[in-house]
Amino acid sequence: MDKKIAVYICTGCGIGEALDVDQLSSVATSECKAAICKNHACLCSPEGVRMINDDIAEGANSLIIGACSQRVMYDVFNFENTILDRVNLREQVAWTHPAKDEDTQMMAEDYFRMSGARMAAMQPPEPFKPEQEMSRDILVVGGGVTGMTAALEASKAGYNAVLVEQADDLGGFQKNVAKNVVFPFKDVQENDIDKLAASVKANEKITVFTGSKIEKLSGGPCVFNATIKTNGSSSDHKIGAVVLAAGWKPYDPEKLDQRFGYGASPNVVTNVQFEERAKAGKITRPSDGGQVKTAAFIQCAGQRDPQHLPYCSSICCFTALKQAIQVKQQDPKANVFVFYQEMRTPGQGEDFFRKAQSEGVIFVRAQAPEIQAAGGKVCVEAFDELLGDNILLDNVDLVVLATGMVPATAFGEDHKAKKTDEPPKPNEMVASVDSIFVSDILNLEYRQGPELPELKYGFPDSHFICFPYESRRTGIYPAGPVRRPMGVSNAIEDATGAVMKAIQCVELTSGGMAVHPRAGDTSYPEFFLQRCTQCKRCTEECPFGAINEDEKGNPLPQPTRCRRCGVCMGACPERIISFKNYSVAMIGDMIKSINVPDEYDEKPRILIFCCENDAYPTLDMAGLRRMNYNAWVRIIPLRCLGSLNLVWIADSLSKGIDGIMLLGCRHGDNYQCHFIKGSELANIRLSKVKETLDRLALESDRVRFEDVSITDYEKVPAMLDEFAERLVEIGANPYKGF
Amino acid sequence: MSNRVDPNLIRELEEYGLKDAAKCYNCGNCTAICDLSTPENPFPRKMVRYVQLGQKEKILKSPEPWLCYYCGDCSIRCPREADPGETMMVLRRYLTSLYDWTGFSKRFYTSEKFETMAVAALGLLVGLGMIFWAIANHALIDWKHADVSSVWSTEGIEKADLVMAGILSFFLLTNLFRCVKLVLGDYFKKIPLKMYYEEIKYLLVQFATQKQFDGCKTKGNRQRWIAHLAIMTGYATVFLLVVIFVNGLPFMGINALKFQRGWASMGHVNEISIFNPIRLLGYYSFFALMYGTSYVIWSRLKKTQPQFKNTHSTDWMFLILLQATAITGILINLGHIFDLAFFTYAIYVLHMMVAIPMLVLEVPFAKWAHLAYRPVVLMLMKVKARYVAEYEPAKGAVLAPEVEAAV
Repeated sequence: MDKKIAVYICTGCGIGEALDVDQLSSVATSECKAAICKNHACLCSPEGVRMINDDIAEGANSLIIGACSQRVMYDVFNFENTILDRVNLREQVAWTHPAKDEDTQMMAEDYFRMSGARMAAMQPPEPFKPEQEMSRDILVVGGGVTGMTAALEASKAGYNAVLVEQADDLGGFQKNVAKNVVFPFKDVQENDIDKLAASVKANEKITVFTGSKIEKLSGGPCVFNATIKTNGSSSDHKIGAVVLAAGWKPYDPEKLDQRFGYGASPNVVTNVQFEERAKAGKITRPSDGGQVKTAAFIQCAGQRDPQHLPYCSSICCFTALKQAIQVKQQDPKANVFVFYQEMRTPGQGEDFFRKAQSEGVIFVRAQAPEIQAAGGKVCVEAFDELLGDNILLDNVDLVVLATGMVPATAFGEDHKAKKTDEPPKPNEMVASVDSIFVSDILNLEYRQGPELPELKYGFPDSHFICFPYESRRTGIYPAGPVRRPMGVSNAIEDATGAVMKAIQCVELTSGGMAVHPRAGDTSYPEFFLQRCTQCKRCTEECPFGAINEDEKGNPLPQPTRCRRCGVCMGACPERIISFKNYSVAMIGDMIKSINVPDEYDEKPRILIFCCENDAYPTLDMAGLRRMNYNAWVRIIPLRCLGSLNLVWIADSLSKGIDGIMLLGCRHGDNYQCHFIKGSELANIRLSKVKETLDRLALESDRVRFEDVSITDYEKVPAMLDEFAERLVEIGANPYKGF
Repeated sequence: MSNRVDPNLIRELEEYGLKDAAKCYNCGNCTAICDLSTPENPFPRKMVRYVQLGQKEKILKSPEPWLCYYCGDCSIRCPREADPGETMMVLRRYLTSLYDWTGFSKRFYTSEKFETMAVAALGLLVGLGMIFWAIANHALIDWKHADVSSVWSTEGIEKADLVMAGILSFFLLTNLFRCVKLVLGDYFKKIPLKMYYEEIKYLLVQFATQKQFDGCKTKGNRQRWIAHLAIMTGYATVFLLVVIFVNGLPFMGINALKFQRGWASMGHVNEISIFNPIRLLGYYSFFALMYGTSYVIWSRLKKTQPQFKNTHSTDWMFLILLQATAITGILINLGHIFDLAFFTYAIYVLHMMVAIPMLVLEVPFAKWAHLAYRPVVLMLMKVKARYVAEYEPAKGAVLAPEVEAAV
């Protein structure tokens, strides 16, 4: 593409007052090799936009807009068939630095130099089009409430669904449940799962496979190939995206502590076994079929217990209330006690707790009730916190233990345990390896493992707050109790949400675009494989398992699985991975374009590699609040800190830049990284470069990693000042001026 | 040692009128709002918990139900509409039946049929007895003037009264003794007799004034206290008049105090001065009882306040008998004044038919028994607090000032 570069400088919002715009224009024109350079008092106004459009009509195709942050006005500065770079003169220059100041002016000029370098290296991205025909069908794995709802919702939105269920009939766990309780949680009701199953079977857009499993799932969004095995015969299906609704399994009661008395008497059952008995008809004493006169429900059996399930399954309180009411409704004279640690009935669920109380169920708050069981005789002993004393409930006919939910994905051995890699060297920072349990559900043909990686406790979620339904595999969206413990009401909502994500996925992918979080991005990584050394770093470090490899160890990228974070680009020691508009060389050129004053000017330079997702808006927010920060900094936004290539550190230091700061998201537990592991990987790479710096007698303090969250804007100026002070202590970069 | 849960207790208590105790989630708002609850004897939350957990033994030993005067604050404040005030009321009925060693009380409270039959049978028995007595005595009956003592001699009535009072006292005092032993527990043997003796005055003051009732600062409580005091004083006065002073105090030679004055004993004139002090006391009793019972009956019918919302069959029985006693009593007086012989005799029989079941059944076995339990338990709590302060300062140190202030 023949570039005709046009530079526009907006002088509104205080930019004109802060900077010498004429001076800036001349720097921009020469540094960016611009054919056109114009100012406007309000570039985002219709007149400003018309001015740009007029230039485009006359052949301008590469635009550099020096105005506000790229995070605002992106809908206004949106021009077809052009490439665009935004220079953040407002939030990160005019609003954060003193007006008409030499340093402020130098900063603005540097940003235009950097933009010019970027523009020179940038090519217009071309959307990825796979060779195969793209499918928009949605595969739903699991035929329970979640799965059936997901399939129905997909069909309602006009998409074909393929529903795979392991059992011989649809229904999942709810098939064995006689009565349930859903919003608004006023009373128990008959379970209408059969109606749901019938409407799924009758739906023309849904192909149902019962008694089936997924033997193999290969490819990526829109080009998935699912091999479904039914009664020994296999069939292949082209799939667009996947909703994983594989459900849950009850925690094994045999593993429970002895104090729960499981196994010591037939009269001690789990909540799941209660459902089976209730479905069969009358609730009776298991040992001899006698009448249940006294029943005790024991909550948190092996839950919220680090030895068993460390989490709360969130529905067992509802279940116990429901079952207690069932016992009461069967025989109003029955004595029903619920022993609980904390009664957890969030939201309107409180009404259901009240319902149980008005039915006459008695609640006992006790932390560790003990069940003494022998044959048909069972009693419960507990310390009642309200009485402040022990109580003994004897002649109990039925004890129901609230065991928890374990996601179907938590079973099977850990895939990483299979790898026989040599153990890491002591004191060496290594990236955490995802746990992938070989649970025989999806059987992905992915290099990193056959199932979804877990977030915690075997749940394959991606991030618990920010990105519901996301997993660490593009185009596969977990929903229902496999994602987190939940009941029917939540599962229905979950199914709907996950299908929405799946639909977004097939729509974006079929247009050659990235899915969340870089939704709409048409660039994708390209590999210059002739120079590949088969080091496997890209295939191992990709947070989304997007890259398979051939038998020789060459990476086989699957672009529809890619989220365009650039972690592979940062990982590659040969620097053979690049995007059309984002590459190692491009950032390197930007670094080299910075004007570094020599030592005697006493104007050190600090380069900030800044994550676009959280750290960059943090700096913008400091601007919105007109906070001042150090004028030595130059900021380069990165798609993800994980795309940081170590060569940039070398480039910066040899350029004479005094300090380098990496601003990224929090990593580790409760990570906030949009690409899961980017900032963690950047930190590890940095630890390695620090060793090298020390070896070269260059102070390793010159490079620093800081994690910030979006609300940390108050802390950022102090953080930068403190770093600048440290750099003054260390002294100027000895490579300055070479 | 764990406390055995009696899961059936809650249903047993339903027969005493329990309704909503299972709804309680033990937040303690009731105890916080209560004017009479103390750190030493907190209620009603604790008692509701005992009920939920079937802690019969603990209930049996609890003085708290007697410390509650049912102002209804707790039931108004309760976020769960669990009606803790009513639970306390139920526990008073339950305790009355547990203190009673004969088991009669339990049947009286738990079976409406038994209750009605007992009252009716006793009423009929009394009626028949009175009639037989009259027939046996028919020669002496004065049909010209209204002279009750010509039909049933005042001396005879007095003897019957004293025998009845003795029997009633026996039952009431034995039940009361059980109450004292249960409420004090270990302290029963520890506390020296002298301490009880020193607090007799407190007992009498509480009995006569029910000051503690006035301790609730709820709106409307003052009126309830007055009505309650009216019933108590009205009944106590008339009890003294008809049981002790029915024939004056002949053994002390005091005739002026004679309540039931005959035509003959007055020298063949009818005593009609309504300003006679003994008569005035009788009128006070009538008006006090009428005011008190009418107020309560009206309130219970209209369900004006929490304590009037739930009325157990024994409550109705008590009020009806009480008001009927007062009405028949005043009619006898009118019969005398207007000198209507047959009318007076007939009403007198009726009067006995309601007054005696009222006394015999209600005093030792049912609602009237709280007349004794309440002030005695109050006194016991004061004695116990004194004992703890004096002999077990370590135990009472923290609570002593509040206890002192509360008692």
